[in-house]
Amino acid sequence: MKLKILPTHMRNKKRYLAFEVRSQKPLTREDVISLVGGAMGEMYGACGASRADLWVVKVWHCGENVIKGILRCNRDEVDTVRSALPIINRFKGGRVVVHTLGVSGTIKAAKRKFVKKFNLMG
Amino acid sequence: MGRIKLFFDFNVKEDVLLVKEAERLEYAGVALFEHQINHNNSNNNKIYFQADFETIKKNSSIHIYRGVEILAKNPEDMKRKVQKARKEAEVLMVRGGDLKINRAACEDPRVDIISHPYHGRRDSGINHVFAKKAAENNVAVELNLKYLFKTRSHLRYKILTQFREILKLHRKFNFPLIITSSSKSIYDLHTPQDIIALTRCFGMKKEEAKSALSETPQNIIERSKIRSSVLIGGVKIVD
Repeated sequence: MKLKILPTHMRNKKRYLAFEVRSQKPLTREDVISLVGGAMGEMYGACGASRADLWVVKVWHCGENVIKGILRCNRDEVDTVRSALPIINRFKGGRVVVHTLGVSGTIKAAKRKFVKKFNLMG
Repeated sequence: MGRIKLFFDFNVKEDVLLVKEAERLEYAGVALFEHQINHNNSNNNKIYFQADFETIKKNSSIHIYRGVEILAKNPEDMKRKVQKARKEAEVLMVRGGDLKINRAACEDPRVDIISHPYHGRRDSGINHVFAKKAAENNVAVELNLKYLFKTRSHLRYKILTQFREILKLHRKFNFPLIITSSSKSIYDLHTPQDIIALTRCFGMKKEEAKSALSETPQNIIERSKIRSSVLIGGVKIVD
């Protein structure tokens, strides 16, 4: 059984944030979730992080230790999330960096505009 | 005594210390829940409370209510257990988390509280359909503070998001909301004022928090008092 989706006016307004992660150690989607969640928690605390309504939608492995992905967040909190991402710098003893590629209103557009365009593996 | 009238606490009932602590923290009442009820024992038609419930009730000056928490595998199972436990319990709570059970609990007027419908889920576990049903049947949705305190710090934001979502639905559909602490020891209890301050972090207003702590429990108790004399919805036997 699946929950019926909320009527349009009651849904959370969201934006999709495309990003890429470069790291020395290999990463999985779960690692990305905990890195981003941890960074938001560190920067703004649990209370501020809950406002952003964060979710890692999908990630693509683009070559050696490079991950591109799409992050979902609340429309009003895009800048908050963007500001928290630079504080991610270490993962399992290796260095790691997160860059945002762009913001979009749909997953499809985010993929077309930001993920596929710069995809290293094609 | 503050303006807080009643607060429900779901705790291990044999613990006298907990009740004493609740009394000290200026709670007007607690509901004691047996955490490990053997619901699967089909030979017993009754749900047994241990004898010292009465002793606790006698020795304390605050209101003590008797609660039953129902752990069900599926909706049919839930209905059977609710039928069995309704007469024994002053407060009846169904443990949610599974969507089918969430829905069945929201549609059943005999259920008082649906406990943590968001348990083990990514979303809040209720949507506008469930919310309407819960408002019709006066089923209170529980915000369980235990989940907030006991979750690891990097996952806490998820719980708060779920609380926010429930709050949004509550403002639109007006189903009753209840805040509980699910305490097992005296270290889980907090003063009502602290809890009201804490609810601000998921966007709850002071009045909303107060009504969730005092009015909803009072309504539940009032309904359970007249339940035996009510024939069907809206019809009551008058002595």
